[in-house]
Amino acid sequence: MTQEPADALIIGAGASGGVVGKRLSEAGFRVVYLEQGEWMDRADYPGNKLDWELKARKDWATSPNIRGLSQDYPIVEDDTPVSPLMYNAVGGSTIIFAGAWPRALPSDFRVRSLDGIADDWPIDYFELMPYFYRTDRDFGVSGLPGDPAYPPDTEDAPMPPLPIGSAGMKVARGMTKLGWHWWPEFNSINSVAYDGRRACVQRSTCQSGCNEGAKASTDLTHWPKAIARGATLITGARVRKIETDAKGLATGATWIDREGHEHFQPARVVVVAANAIGTPRLLLLSASPTHPDGLANSSGLVGKRLMMHPFANVAGLFEDPLMSWQGQFGDLIESLEFYETDEKRGFVRGARWGLAPTGGPINTALPSRAGEQIWGPDHHEHVKTHLGHGANWGLFAEDLPDEANHITLSSTVTDSDGIPAPEVHYTMADNARRMLDFHIERAKESMEAAGAYKIDVDRLMRYSGWHLLGTARMGDDPQSSVVDRWNRAHDVPNLYVVDGSCFVTSTGVNPTSTIVSIALRAADHMIETRFEQQVPA
Amino acid sequence: MSAAIGDPLASLDTTEVATLRAVADRLIPAAGDMPSAADVLSDARLRFVLNARPDLLGPLRAALRPELGDDVAARLETLGRHEPATLYPLQLVIVGGYYTDTQVRDLIGYPGQMALELRSWEYPAYLEEGLIDAVLARGPVWRDPSTGTRAVVADAPQTYAERYAAGEAASSAAPSGEGGQ
Repeated sequence: MTQEPADALIIGAGASGGVVGKRLSEAGFRVVYLEQGEWMDRADYPGNKLDWELKARKDWATSPNIRGLSQDYPIVEDDTPVSPLMYNAVGGSTIIFAGAWPRALPSDFRVRSLDGIADDWPIDYFELMPYFYRTDRDFGVSGLPGDPAYPPDTEDAPMPPLPIGSAGMKVARGMTKLGWHWWPEFNSINSVAYDGRRACVQRSTCQSGCNEGAKASTDLTHWPKAIARGATLITGARVRKIETDAKGLATGATWIDREGHEHFQPARVVVVAANAIGTPRLLLLSASPTHPDGLANSSGLVGKRLMMHPFANVAGLFEDPLMSWQGQFGDLIESLEFYETDEKRGFVRGARWGLAPTGGPINTALPSRAGEQIWGPDHHEHVKTHLGHGANWGLFAEDLPDEANHITLSSTVTDSDGIPAPEVHYTMADNARRMLDFHIERAKESMEAAGAYKIDVDRLMRYSGWHLLGTARMGDDPQSSVVDRWNRAHDVPNLYVVDGSCFVTSTGVNPTSTIVSIALRAADHMIETRFEQQVPA
Repeated sequence: MSAAIGDPLASLDTTEVATLRAVADRLIPAAGDMPSAADVLSDARLRFVLNARPDLLGPLRAALRPELGDDVAARLETLGRHEPATLYPLQLVIVGGYYTDTQVRDLIGYPGQMALELRSWEYPAYLEEGLIDAVLARGPVWRDPSTGTRAVVADAPQTYAERYAAGEAASSAAPSGEGGQ
């Protein structure tokens, strides 16, 4: 059957795919999306049910290897201390992300110039500011304006801040004693009804899907609007290969449906938005005579420079009941006090701290992330003194790019359609280890200043690879980058990569705000240059 | 998604259930006003856990196999040393059944994850206490890429009241009807 080519074929219906798809649809592009997952039903989310903590550890685990759902693909992770996390559905990982919405900082785009290491980006913070504002409005962001950790804004967050809770207040007072920066966190979670979605109810189950629809996920914020503009979203569609013609232009994608039948979707432009594991996997799978080392890979950097933000946790325990099982799981407060480089510390760059709720009784009763387990007669006292009495600083260390941290295609493991799985090869750098060690000590001081009587530390959490970045980096030089400053592949002029793969360095903050702002900027450019766009005959 | 598999308890024989309750009593014994997990883990509670997590049934049966003997402490020691991937599901079944019990939740003062009304109109306590003013008084924290040093912002607000007034002025000066992208 001959099909009319899509003006734009978007592979992956998550955060960045949602942004690009909505924008292109608004501009009149005929957009087709292929998503291997399905639409979610909020009524099925477990957060408001008794078995939430049980299901959060399996069907709602953040690791696809633990979930093992039919729409997931396996990830070979024997050669990494950090497991990549993601979700495959309409909405992608926004279904299970926490919703924390910090932006990258100005220094993040000038790492080489400022610190003599890694690379500068071809774009900067100030160029992205209008896109930050637009994505803040589209996703719906709550926050207190005026954070002095960022340049002054010309536009405030569209909603007032979410509460910081008793735990946030306690730690904020400690930070104030120390004279350290803290600020109520910006979250893409409604503090009031917004854009047809309800306000947050502080249930704290954000990572198991938001029952209220208060947390932004693109199945709510973007896809319905794109579809209303005529976009076609095909679910249960696992892309096997991006096809190319003799000139090396992308012509569309071959995909497999849930019954195992193969299809081809032709397109004038192909946009890959499958995260920094899925995107390089697909580009490597798309090798052809004109692209023998994988699509868009003449630089050899597809799949290289994987960054995942090594993560440590510092948990303070307090005498006072804090009811800290409640509150947005996107953070309560954050600190960027030690974010910028100070070489006296023995490392370059820095880390962001985010203070999060602490979970329910099953989480409290089971062995802790730091390995502590209390059974026998003392178990009850342990639960009573820990449940609702804690506050957790999560420490996100900036991960510098290293070509040794990379993705390959497995020769032995495949997904359910027989497509090779990605293999992750990743080692935590010494710089990041020293960074986390420093930040752990400062975070412990913060908890002491706040009055914690006990502090537990998890020095590197395995299931913390939420932030997948860098495997198809942006740059001006085709020999040292995969995509240009507009996210267009140097080698394939009608192929775009718009997810976190394009990151040049990792920054030290949760990346979704920055990812989607870069994606929106890329979409604007596609629209502006639509009449110059090279397309297959 | 995990599917219910009929009655999961039918897969456990009486010896396995007895062993499970013995382990439960060892991990979470009665103390003070708290009941033991053995007393709480009724068939209904076990059924609830295994219906939510049918994947636990296999490792649970492995953890309860008779070959590990009658000594509960020795069984836990063996599993912890040689089969942590079997021990964890055993612990999860017991903890999951115990802490989803209504009486236990009442005793520990945990009402479940509640839906709370946000009071976004209330002035936050951190502003009331001046905690934000203390942060603002220290000035900008970000590093200016053009100088490589901490940014200097002319007329940076020193208090939240100043910042709020500046934000209000900017809003009233902005063109109306701006509608995003």
